[in-house]
Amino acid sequence: MTDLLELAIAGLMSGLVIGLAALAVTLVFGIARFANAATGDTMTLGAYATLGGTAATGSLIAGGAIGILAGAAAGVIAYATVFRKLERRSPVAALLASIGVGFVIRAGLGLVYGHGQQVFQLPLVRPWRVWGIRIQPTDLEIAAAALATLAAVFLILHATPIGRQMRAVADDPDLARVSGIAPRRVMIALWALAGGVAAVAGCLLGIKTVVAPEMGWDMLLPAFAAAILGGIGHPVGAVVAGVLLGIAQETATPWVGFTYKIALSFAVLLLVLLVRPRGLFGRIEGVR
Amino acid sequence: MSIDRRQTLAGLAGTLALPLLGRSAFAQGAGTFRIGALNPVTGSGSPYGTGMQKMILAAAEMVNAAGGAGGRMFEVFAEDTQTNPQAAVLAAKKLIEINKVQAILGTWASGVSLAVIPLTNDAGAILMHTSGAPALSVAPSNAKGLGYRFQATNDRFGRAFAEIAQKEGFKRPATMAFNNASGIGNTEGFRKAWEAKGGKVLEAVVYEPNQPSYRAELQKVLAAKPDVIVTGSYLADTTIILREWFQTGDATRWIIPGWAANPDLVKALGPDVTEGLFSVDSISNEEAPSFQMYDAAYRKAVGQPGLSNVYGAMTWDMVVTLALAMEAAGPGADVAAINAKMRDVANPGGTKVYSFAEGKAALKAGKINYEGASSILDFDAAGDVTPDFGVSVISKGKIERRYVTKI
Repeated sequence: MTDLLELAIAGLMSGLVIGLAALAVTLVFGIARFANAATGDTMTLGAYATLGGTAATGSLIAGGAIGILAGAAAGVIAYATVFRKLERRSPVAALLASIGVGFVIRAGLGLVYGHGQQVFQLPLVRPWRVWGIRIQPTDLEIAAAALATLAAVFLILHATPIGRQMRAVADDPDLARVSGIAPRRVMIALWALAGGVAAVAGCLLGIKTVVAPEMGWDMLLPAFAAAILGGIGHPVGAVVAGVLLGIAQETATPWVGFTYKIALSFAVLLLVLLVRPRGLFGRIEGVR
Repeated sequence: MSIDRRQTLAGLAGTLALPLLGRSAFAQGAGTFRIGALNPVTGSGSPYGTGMQKMILAAAEMVNAAGGAGGRMFEVFAEDTQTNPQAAVLAAKKLIEINKVQAILGTWASGVSLAVIPLTNDAGAILMHTSGAPALSVAPSNAKGLGYRFQATNDRFGRAFAEIAQKEGFKRPATMAFNNASGIGNTEGFRKAWEAKGGKVLEAVVYEPNQPSYRAELQKVLAAKPDVIVTGSYLADTTIILREWFQTGDATRWIIPGWAANPDLVKALGPDVTEGLFSVDSISNEEAPSFQMYDAAYRKAVGQPGLSNVYGAMTWDMVVTLALAMEAAGPGADVAAINAKMRDVANPGGTKVYSFAEGKAALKAGKINYEGASSILDFDAAGDVTPDFGVSVISKGKIERRYVTKI
């Protein structure tokens, strides 16, 4: 039983990272209406910027802030240079362009930092024992960072004017426009937000694993899976689905083994989509 | 976009004409022999790939400076495998079909070599690699005998691991393998050798790449209470696994292949986590004059000692052996004739030589036996070599060689 609980905790931690990445995917999908394949590489960029910022300032918090700014800037630049031009084209054009944007980011990082791995040099600590269950202090910090990010995103979406405007555009772009909402400002805010969230996800993934140019790209498939499972375009759904997939994968390993745990998360995805084609939280018509 | 019949026909005709164009534009000059340097410049082989490629270029330059091999000069086309089979296959296709290379040198990961060797076989080209997967020794991969391995097979690595585990007095080993031919080859080789010694492997876990965490895998292995964990792993996954292992507070020892337990691992994890790890690698032929030459070339091209890249010595030897075989086969020999001479110039039974120039001169007098920089380089029937293994222990952040094991 404690074994299973520890597996669930490990899954929860992986799931939070996947959930944040899925949140970045789903934000863009809800408003710009395409699956942004550059999300993974924006994560990577955020991780490298955080590493650089941490080295420069000596503080992981300040480094993280620099990482978030870099991710947000990358989002806005990608929008201004690529996705704005494709706004009225089919989503497939934007999807393909986003693969290209991701490639440019990945190759650029490879050129600047090389392809070797880098790591966050954080002190390694022994776990606490709570009723026989091992709890890692770093896990709590990672979870706190993830939850703070989620809280910030939901505050922005639901308690600020720009957030309301974003949701209005997500609902009905034309109605939003005739109501006097400037779509340009909304899109810039959206890309900055999605870029920042991706950067946090990348930074947390980097702390858990190693930082390398391909790290974010490799996470794209689970992130897409979680975004779809949660009901595409639904922010809460993305996070919940990420956590669900993470926990399902890890706790299933005693029965399905480690090779098939990835397949298992796709089996879960298939099942849910069979029963609820719009995903866990999705409504028939987009986001609200 | 819609394509009408006329455009389709024109397009097809154009495609049909392409090979003709290729042939006329890239006809092979009589005085050159084209080789591909297909190395892991990026991806998980990147700590070694650049050095490997530079050594192919340096050795080819050296052969050309010595007047070429069999009357021909090497022309090298360099490509990156990205340590990724798909990318490597595209690069190999380009090397074979467009650059018309007759040998590809220096593929590193097993998955890459296994993907590339069908292409070189079909083209009748030689593939020289540094991969470990046992499958590369036998048919179908090496059905034509055109594949040469300059590294120990994973099976031999596994045997070396078993020797070391016995020598160090471990009784309860478990294994963790990255899910590919190389990772599983290591741990399976270990299991076979360990069971042959009458031992038993308590737990064998195979894990997937690119996971955000390996805690579940570790939990399974540690539940068996092993006294040592033997891995078939790479740098990134080893970094994550060891960090998570250290955080569990468990005190198991580790035996890890040298391509994963290298200075980058120590840099990433620090001295506390890496204290007492065994790092096992095949070692270069460090005392030989051929190694001195390679070392000088490596320092010149990369700015680091040759010892830092055991694969650099292997790619250096690839060019030298190929050149000696070309020299032995004589001017204008085709790939089959050159291939037939590979063992003649490298295996025992002739004058020992340590460089291309020396070998070229000695070939005029009779048989030669090239003693390489990477190993004494004697190919068995499967095209495999048997290097020695260096056993290092990481102590206070330094990787210190303790002894050499022969299998």
